[in-house]
Amino acid sequence: MKKVSIIGSGNVGANAAFFIAEMAAAHVTLIDIEEGRAAGKALDMMEAAPIRRYRTKLEGSDNIEAIEGSDIVVITAGLIREPGKDRTEHFQENREILLSMVEPITKLAPDCKVIVAPEPVDPMVKIFTEKSGFDRKRVMGIGGVLDTTRMAGFIAEELGISARDVNAMVIGSHTKKMVPLPFYSRVSGINITELLGEGAIERVIHNTRQAGNLIVDLAKRANAYYAPASAIAQVVEAIAIDTGKILSVSVLLDGEYGMKGVALSVPCKLGADGVEEIVELKLAEETWKDFQASAEPIRDLA
Amino acid sequence: MKKVSVIGAGHVGAKTTYYIAEKGIANVVMVDIVEGMPQAKGLDFTHAAPLRNYGVTTVGTNDYAEIADSDVVVITAGIPRKPGMDRMDLLKINTDIVKTASRNVAKYAPNATIIVVSNPLDIMCMVALDASGFALKRVFGMAGILDSTRFRYFVAEKLDVAVTDVQAMVLGGHGDTMVPLPRFTTVSGIPITELMSPEDIESLTVRTRNGGAEIVKYLKTGSAYYAPAASTAEMVEAVLTNEKRIAPVCAYLRGEYGYEAIYLGVPVLIGANGAEKIVELDLDEGEKALLDNSAEAVKKGLADLRSFYTMA
Repeated sequence: MKKVSIIGSGNVGANAAFFIAEMAAAHVTLIDIEEGRAAGKALDMMEAAPIRRYRTKLEGSDNIEAIEGSDIVVITAGLIREPGKDRTEHFQENREILLSMVEPITKLAPDCKVIVAPEPVDPMVKIFTEKSGFDRKRVMGIGGVLDTTRMAGFIAEELGISARDVNAMVIGSHTKKMVPLPFYSRVSGINITELLGEGAIERVIHNTRQAGNLIVDLAKRANAYYAPASAIAQVVEAIAIDTGKILSVSVLLDGEYGMKGVALSVPCKLGADGVEEIVELKLAEETWKDFQASAEPIRDLA
Repeated sequence: MKKVSVIGAGHVGAKTTYYIAEKGIANVVMVDIVEGMPQAKGLDFTHAAPLRNYGVTTVGTNDYAEIADSDVVVITAGIPRKPGMDRMDLLKINTDIVKTASRNVAKYAPNATIIVVSNPLDIMCMVALDASGFALKRVFGMAGILDSTRFRYFVAEKLDVAVTDVQAMVLGGHGDTMVPLPRFTTVSGIPITELMSPEDIESLTVRTRNGGAEIVKYLKTGSAYYAPAASTAEMVEAVLTNEKRIAPVCAYLRGEYGYEAIYLGVPVLIGANGAEKIVELDLDEGEKALLDNSAEAVKKGLADLRSFYTMA
């Protein structure tokens, strides 16, 4: 079984560890700089294992050395965005935290795939890719896959149907300029443009763009973490089990979709090597422009 | 679809909600006094539903009226135990919280079964029973399953066997006096007394007794929630699906094991009617002495409760 290390054992990191354990996708090492925190949460999860029936091992450590030999490293450590605070504002703080991890990761787990979660995620992917010297296809950001699950939820809600039957697709930057793709969003294969009127689709798109902010506003002092953690677990599973699943993740682009030197979410075939293929959708001209424009809010970062 | 309400949307309440949602057995309403927080968590769960494949609804609210007609209500509300804080220190604050919650359950969900999780558990069950006015079988507490899952994990780790092959039984109050029963703790049916030295068993029982404290010591500002919530969800499922499981539960005793009018952890048949039947194990002298000790600690807690709380 593969080894995945999760750096940062806050709500996103801890729940991602738990989801990965339940999916039996990999053994998990949880890391946190706060003494005892990761070890305590990992122990709590192991104590739930007899009931929840997972056989994966979870351990926690406050020493980054414990990531040694990881097949996958997930970075969740970072400061959460407070209500009213723009994504760009805490960029500098999270950038410093991210940069401090480049050396230990490249030294201790030189062959790992890296999953980046802290906001703003797209610039973080670019920074980590460039500073680590890793092949760009080994560094993936949790942007589109999170936006996609939210969009799927809103479609299910709008139609009053089970979320199980819905597939959605969101590409572009993980900002309000993200690009939800109704044509590529389907219910049991049926395009939602055949099932929902324009007004309903507009609502779905609006809600998807606002989803992260809505949770911050509701909870005041907490960011969303269940949906982000399940998005991380899904990417980990795709890599660890080598499923070849196509998910929208943020990756440094090199000419795909007409973009170079910027990381954005695009549909990627994920497997043991990370991004095995970037899928280039045939976008309508207007959507193509929206995709280019989605890079604007993050252009001055990184 | 059945309905479960969870009072208190902190880590234990939210995680319990999640486990219930993943089991797909009920729509869940989370109630908390903190504005926005339960709503946010309920919404976050719905966002994860397409990935995690559940079809139930999860709603957060600050309004008790939304628990109307719940089949099961789980009370997790209460302040957590801080490092160095004894369970009894929590007594007064949590009594108030559980009393308010239980009265609201009686008002809005008069036919529900109540599962108490708030600490000190054995005493909070009595408060919930008193404040709700519900039948004895319909008010019980979660502790033994948690203590036994910890014991199971420790045994599995020590013997290097699959956790799923280990069964364990832990009786008594949910505190330092709990009674892990090695004779009734088995690996694929084999008692651990045949697989481990008495010294190893002793060290694991001590670790089980201190299981909650061990996590608190690590976390410093928090306590366990994955294992507690997993344990609670098992009990909810047993009631909703009339599963007739036998598990250690904090139940009201009327003479069983020789104790009267206290809540104590004992094996119980759990089904649609709640704590349907108490299973009386044939304990040896040593085991009975440990259980007596545990019952004494609970009685002391009840005396503390009566010092400021008048029962109906």
